[in-house]
Amino acid sequence: MARRAAISGVATTEATSPSKQTSSSLELCQQAAWAALEHARLRPEDLDAIVVGNIDGFEGTALSGKHVTRLLGLGRHLPLIILNTGGTTGGNLMQVAARMVRSGTHEAVMVLGQPTFFGARDLQSAINTNSPMIVEQPLGMGAFHMGAFAASAYQARHGISARDLAEVIVADHDKASRNPKAHLRYTVDVDYVVNGTPLSTPLTQPMVCPVSTSANAMVLVSEARARALDHPTALVTAMGTTSDPYLGGGKGDFAALENLAALARRVYRLADIREPRQEFDVVEVFAPYAHMQPMQLEALGFCEPGTGIELIRSGATAIDGDMPTNLSGGPKCTNAGVAGELAPYLYVAMQLMDSAPPEIQVAGHPRMGLAHGTGGSFFQFENLAVLTRLDPAPEA
Amino acid sequence: MTTPTTPATAPVTQAVRWDLGYDIHLGATWSRFMQGLREAKILANRCPDCRRVFVPPQAYCESCYVPTDEWLELPGEGSLEVFTVVWHGFTGGPTPPYVVGAIRLDGADTLLMHVVTGLDFSDPATVRDQLPQGSRVRAVWSAERAGHILDISHFEPAG
Repeated sequence: MARRAAISGVATTEATSPSKQTSSSLELCQQAAWAALEHARLRPEDLDAIVVGNIDGFEGTALSGKHVTRLLGLGRHLPLIILNTGGTTGGNLMQVAARMVRSGTHEAVMVLGQPTFFGARDLQSAINTNSPMIVEQPLGMGAFHMGAFAASAYQARHGISARDLAEVIVADHDKASRNPKAHLRYTVDVDYVVNGTPLSTPLTQPMVCPVSTSANAMVLVSEARARALDHPTALVTAMGTTSDPYLGGGKGDFAALENLAALARRVYRLADIREPRQEFDVVEVFAPYAHMQPMQLEALGFCEPGTGIELIRSGATAIDGDMPTNLSGGPKCTNAGVAGELAPYLYVAMQLMDSAPPEIQVAGHPRMGLAHGTGGSFFQFENLAVLTRLDPAPEA
Repeated sequence: MTTPTTPATAPVTQAVRWDLGYDIHLGATWSRFMQGLREAKILANRCPDCRRVFVPPQAYCESCYVPTDEWLELPGEGSLEVFTVVWHGFTGGPTPPYVVGAIRLDGADTLLMHVVTGLDFSDPATVRDQLPQGSRVRAVWSAERAGHILDISHFEPAG
């Protein structure tokens, strides 16, 4: 039987804005790395490798994976894999480490998500480098403008108002206000969101993510190692990634996430998921803009096209709903770049391990979770994983 | 898990600057597209297998994984599928407000992104209704053309 991999330790630092952050990027990484090791009950010498996310150009201080890894204090001989897939780097980190463990060549691999929006004074200029440079960016299209295309098309197809979109933001902030690790922990109302500074129709400033600083880390081990621990772990049951064309104009439909729907079908087949709404106990999606969470819930098979906001409005995605979603507050309230993209995987694992902050821990020991990431030009890349709670083996 | 507490002091920072220029080599396919723009022609190409027409052209079909070597010229007119009004731009970009749209040129299977003019921004709430999905638009060429996407100055409402 093929080997399986499980997340055995996770850690996130407290998040704050760059203007309030007194730690360096490296210090945040050190905090996360050591806390994840402690959670996994491992020593540095137990690690076979570390996978670090790096985004060229996103970081004024240009801390390469190699530089960071040397200074974590984990020892001199730790093999390093640097992953650079632009805006989806963090979402792919866990998948690379899981494949290393599954291959049988590694027993224990650390994953480190750095805070990569740290320090850029004109962040839009930095993240606009993901807009296709030759034929699309010269038109005045940057990151949130690309997001606005999907928001606009989604509104037009389903008759969704700005106030409807604002309800998604209100729900996200309510959740973040309970998460002690979130960055924006204030609550908002619909009027505040729709009357915010207009950015690109229909998106207002409160409808897009903040710039946060925090670091995230996790440890993946073989299933046998995971079962020997005295706490539950999160088995990687199925995973996958997919891509749309590079140019925004290559998308078939801006009003639906066809690419994510195709990936969900593939990953659900691997995990034998037939009724996602019934089967998942906890969900975290990477939704930095207001329209994204409802569109993702639709593409993931939780509801019909155009009904994602109704699903959120119904309370189903709240902590006491039947499919709690983004209880962390999501990237709408905490987005630290690579660390932020890793966060959905981290929070789902935390939930399955009963180790989420108590204020956001789903009751009743959730067993099956779905973690999602996305990024790239017009969110061309999607990544998805099904995680399952793995209980410790009974004492022999 | 342990979480070290953050000291309540002001961050100590130092300013650095990173300003990098690049020359991107367009290659044969996009060079030909840009030469077409210089001549006020919109060139596209077609996948020999799925027959889809790409504009901007691409050297390979991303669905069929075959070279796309059949070229054709498209008219500068099409339907506006979706657009956004940009109220907040970015350093080095155009001055807002402006409109960027996704246009399905007649005969194309992909969308061409471009600036769309002719909208009245005085009442932000009504801007979207001025050009409903499917509105016809046409390319307006720049007088000076240099082999650049902005050789098409913009698209304007047609009819």
